[in-house]
Amino acid sequence: MARLILNPLRETGSILAVVLAWYWASATHLVTDFLLPTPLSVIQRIGADAMSGDLPAALERTIGAALAGFAIAGVVGTALGIAMARVRAVRWFFDPLISIGFPMPKIAFLPIFLLWLGPTIAAEITIVAFTVLFPVATAAEAGAEGIETVMLWSARSLGAREGQMLWQIVLPAITPQLLTGLQIALPIALITAIVAEMLTGSDGVGGAMLAAMRFADSPGVFAGIIEIAVLGYGLVKMMEWLRAALLRWHSETAAW
Amino acid sequence: MSGAAQIVFEGVGHSYVPPRGRRVQALLDISLQIAHGEFMALLGPSGCGKSTLLYLLGGFVRLTQGAILVDGRPVSGPGPDRGVVFQSFALFPWKTVRQNIRYGLERLGLPRAEQEERAQHFIDMVHLTGFENSYPSQLSGGMRQRVAIARTLAVRPAILLMDEPFGALDAQTREIMHEELLAIMRAQRMTTLFVTHDVREAVYLADRVAVMSARPGRIKEVVPIALGERTGPEVMKSPAFADYVEQLWNLVKTEAAQAVAGSR
Repeated sequence: MARLILNPLRETGSILAVVLAWYWASATHLVTDFLLPTPLSVIQRIGADAMSGDLPAALERTIGAALAGFAIAGVVGTALGIAMARVRAVRWFFDPLISIGFPMPKIAFLPIFLLWLGPTIAAEITIVAFTVLFPVATAAEAGAEGIETVMLWSARSLGAREGQMLWQIVLPAITPQLLTGLQIALPIALITAIVAEMLTGSDGVGGAMLAAMRFADSPGVFAGIIEIAVLGYGLVKMMEWLRAALLRWHSETAAW
Repeated sequence: MSGAAQIVFEGVGHSYVPPRGRRVQALLDISLQIAHGEFMALLGPSGCGKSTLLYLLGGFVRLTQGAILVDGRPVSGPGPDRGVVFQSFALFPWKTVRQNIRYGLERLGLPRAEQEERAQHFIDMVHLTGFENSYPSQLSGGMRQRVAIARTLAVRPAILLMDEPFGALDAQTREIMHEELLAIMRAQRMTTLFVTHDVREAVYLADRVAVMSARPGRIKEVVPIALGERTGPEVMKSPAFADYVEQLWNLVKTEAAQAVAGSR
C-alpha cells in the first residue's frame, strides 16, 4: 500500500518541490505578485480562460499548426529519407543540404515564409514542417540504410514485386527508427509553432503569452507556461503510447 | 542423382570493384550441373565466392559472365521457384511466426483458408506448434531458422538454396537441424544447393560435394558421397564417413591456407 503513495511521490517529487517553492516565494511576498504571481492566481486564470473559450481556441490554433506541420513533415520526411537511402541521385542531391540544414536554426526562415504567405496559419505550418523535416528524414534514412539486404532478398524470392517492397517490407522494417525520429520531432514541432506565434503575434498559446506580456499581465504569461508544459507532456506521452502499440514485435517491448 | 540436370552453371564468373581498390575476380569459369532432386553441397574456404555463386543462382546478383540455366531457362531475378534460406534467418521481425510463413502464400494469391492450412502444416513440420503467434525476437536461434525454413518450404519451391543455414547455431542445435533437414528431404525431395565451410556437414548431408578453390573461386573437384540413405547420426561413426571427411578436408585444407595467406 505504501508503494502506491511513495512511487508517484518519488517520480513527481521534484515537480512538487518547485511548485511548493513557487508557492512559498509568492505567499511570503519574497517577490512581488507582478514578478511572480501565486500558483492559485495562475490556476484561476487558466480556469477563467478555459471558461471564456479563449484557452480552447488558443490551444486549437497551436495544436493545429504543430500537428499539421508535423504530419506534413512526417510524410514528406519519410519518403525523402527512404529515397535518399535507396536512390543514389536523391542522396547525392539532398545529403549535403540536410547536413548543412540540420544544425541550422530553422526559425530563421520564418521571415521568408511570412513574406511569401503573410502572417497566416499557413506560414506557421510551413515553418513547423520545414523544421521537423530534418529529424524525420534523417531517421528514415538511417532506418532504410540499416535494412538487412538478405531480408529484402527473402521478400523478393518469396514473390514480392518491386512495388510491394516499400509498403510490405521497407516501411515496417524502418518503423523503430522512424518512430524515434518522430518522437524527437513532435516536441520540436510544438516549440516551433509557439515561437512562430510569439514572433508573429498571431493567436494561439504563444501569441496569447505575448499579448499578456504586453499588457503586463503576469498571471497570463505564467498561465501560458503551464499550458505549454501540460500540452507538451501530453503529446510526448501520446507518442510513447503509440510506439508501444506499434512495436509490440520489437525486442524492446517484448514480454519475455 | 537420376534424371537430367535441373541447374546448369556454364562458364560463370563474377567480378566486382570494392569501394577503394581494383577490380576483384571473385569467381572464375564455374561449370557445374545439379540433377533433379540432388543435394549438392558447395564447400570452400571463406571468401572463395561460394555464397556469391548461390546469390547468382538466386537471381539476387546480376550475372555478367557465363550462363546459369534452371530447367533450361536463364535465371533473371529472384523467384519463388528457388527458395532461399540465409545464415542470418532474414525473418520479418514485425510479423509473427504464422505471418512470416504466410507471407509467400499471400504473394501466391492462395485463398485465405488454404494459406492458414498450409502455414499450420509447415509450422507443425518444423516443430513450432504452439509458437504460431510468437515474434522472432522471442525465439532462440534454432527456432528462428526453423521459421525461415518453413517460410521458404511453404511456397513449395522446386529448388532450395541454403547459404550456411546452420552457421550461426550452436553445435547441438546444428545437429538437431541436420536431422530435421534430412527428414524434410525424405518427405519432400528438392534439388538443393547447400553452401558450407563445414566438411562434416557437407559429407553428412550431400549427395555430391563441390569443392571450391580460394579466390578466384573455381570448382576444384566434385566428390560423390556414396553413404546411402542417411537414417541417423550413426553413419558419422562409419569408416567410409571418416574417409570422405579426410579426402575433402585435404582438398579444402590447402585452399584454406591459401585464403588465409591471401587475406594478409
